Amino acid sequence: MQRLPAKITDSLLRLVSSQRFLAHLAVDQNEHLIRAGGDLAHYGLADLRIGNPAAEQLPFLEGMLPLPETPFLIRSLQMPSGRIADVHFFGDDEVVWVILLDTTAEHDETQRVQQKAYDMTLLSEREARLIAQLEATNTELTRAHNALAESREALLVVHNRLSEELREAERYVRAVLPQPIAEPFTLDWIYLPTAELGGDSFGYHWIDDDHFALYLLDVCGHGIGSALLSVAANQTLRSQALPDTDFRDPAAVLNALNPVYQMDRHNDLYFTIWYGVLHPASGTLRFASAGHPSPLLVKGTSDRHGAVEPLKARGPIMGMTPNARYKSEQCVIEAPARLFVFSDGVFEITRPDGSMLEAETFQELLSRPVDPDLSELERLLKFARETNGNDSLEDDFSVMRLELTPSVG
Amino acid sequence: MLQKKICLLGAFGVGKTSLTRRFVESIFSDNYLTTVGVKIDKKELSVDDKQISLIMWDIAGEDEVSAVRTSYLRGAAGYLLVVDMTRAQTLEVAGNIQQRVSSEIGDIPFLCLLNKIDLEEERDVSEAGLQARQDAGWTILRTSAKTGEGVEAAFTELARRISA
Repeated sequence: MQRLPAKITDSLLRLVSSQRFLAHLAVDQNEHLIRAGGDLAHYGLADLRIGNPAAEQLPFLEGMLPLPETPFLIRSLQMPSGRIADVHFFGDDEVVWVILLDTTAEHDETQRVQQKAYDMTLLSEREARLIAQLEATNTELTRAHNALAESREALLVVHNRLSEELREAERYVRAVLPQPIAEPFTLDWIYLPTAELGGDSFGYHWIDDDHFALYLLDVCGHGIGSALLSVAANQTLRSQALPDTDFRDPAAVLNALNPVYQMDRHNDLYFTIWYGVLHPASGTLRFASAGHPSPLLVKGTSDRHGAVEPLKARGPIMGMTPNARYKSEQCVIEAPARLFVFSDGVFEITRPDGSMLEAETFQELLSRPVDPDLSELERLLKFARETNGNDSLEDDFSVMRLELTPSVG
Repeated sequence: MLQKKICLLGAFGVGKTSLTRRFVESIFSDNYLTTVGVKIDKKELSVDDKQISLIMWDIAGEDEVSAVRTSYLRGAAGYLLVVDMTRAQTLEVAGNIQQRVSSEIGDIPFLCLLNKIDLEEERDVSEAGLQARQDAGWTILRTSAKTGEGVEAAFTELARRISA
């Protein structure tokens, strides 16, 4: 470049000096500061000491000298005063000249633009990560949804199989129950478990030519476990499978049954039972109870009002105490009369308002004459459903009805 | 007193300025303010019974259009290579910078700082990625300029390595 006249370069220098706060430093080959001038105070460098090591006073010089190649530029260096300077290094023989020019305005503008650009970049990076996460989550959810659908199908298959097995079990439980009989007396019943399998079971059979046994038991809870126990106990009584036991003696039967069905060996299940033996010729009924609701004896025929008598017998619940002892009670039934043996689900009914059916109301119902177009058992079930306010009852509904007519005996 | 120049390098927004402020002033601000050019700070510390004055060059981060000027590392005794744990690509940027420094300046001591470890739930840098760097000889320290965790230890460790 052609050398400019001194007055032009001087003028340019004055211009730069006034607008850019020109300052200069000179460092010798021993890295000592040998000159300093210009607007040093503008950069917070007013206290420099000539002759002292330069890097100790100007940290940006640490390690920089000697410079193998000049000119060299450090752009936008923040100075002690907070101002920003471009720092130019020029070599001149054995001296390095350091020129400071204020670029604060340019720095601030660059920073403003760069800040926006970086903020946008960071935002878009974050957005991209979120989208990737969402896509990954969506893929995972789809996979989980498919797995769930497969599991649901498998579960449905198992459920259907279990339901069929439950229906099979229910058919078996019902098959254990004896058919109603009409001679020499009438005995019919209703069995309506609340779950698919209930804990109620009952039976009756002739022990010999003169003695007729009837019993009803109620295992705590519902479902397969309760049903299995109720069927097992029922079978024990039906097959008279208690050794050295006189099945005509109700107390002896319960005394023998209790040790066999202790709850600690039967999945913590226990049951109540009423066991009676009728001698039809005399009308004598001997009975014993293990915590079971008292059967009700209704005197007279069903088309007339009849007095109701509970057949009370006391005894602990079956299976709770190994050493429990039971006692037989006895009464003579004068025909005509009806005997109702039932589980607690027949009369422990909750009304829609939460109140419970009273025992007196239940007994009063039995004492009333029955409409000709309705059997006594049907009336009981209808009443229970009406009282409950729902066709589905809360508990198993099992009731046996034994009707003695004057011709018997 | 021993005076040493070190540099902080890395992609933009990884927390170089925040680490320096945390180390020098024990301050942290959540407001991100990008660095243009160079900021120089100084702090004296004692390492293995030696007093050392660290001159820290906080150099503007690298982005897609402007690379770190390795000439600024002239005379540096070592450097801190900062990675943002929540942005996996900053580990790649760090790798590129390290290679350039190694070829243009030489193999001077450096530490990689995995910064922003307080944001674990937003982690994006994989352990496999870090392991690959460690297998290549990197020392990686975990830091949080926000909580201060690991910051003093990182600067002190580099000071130890460059004053040995």
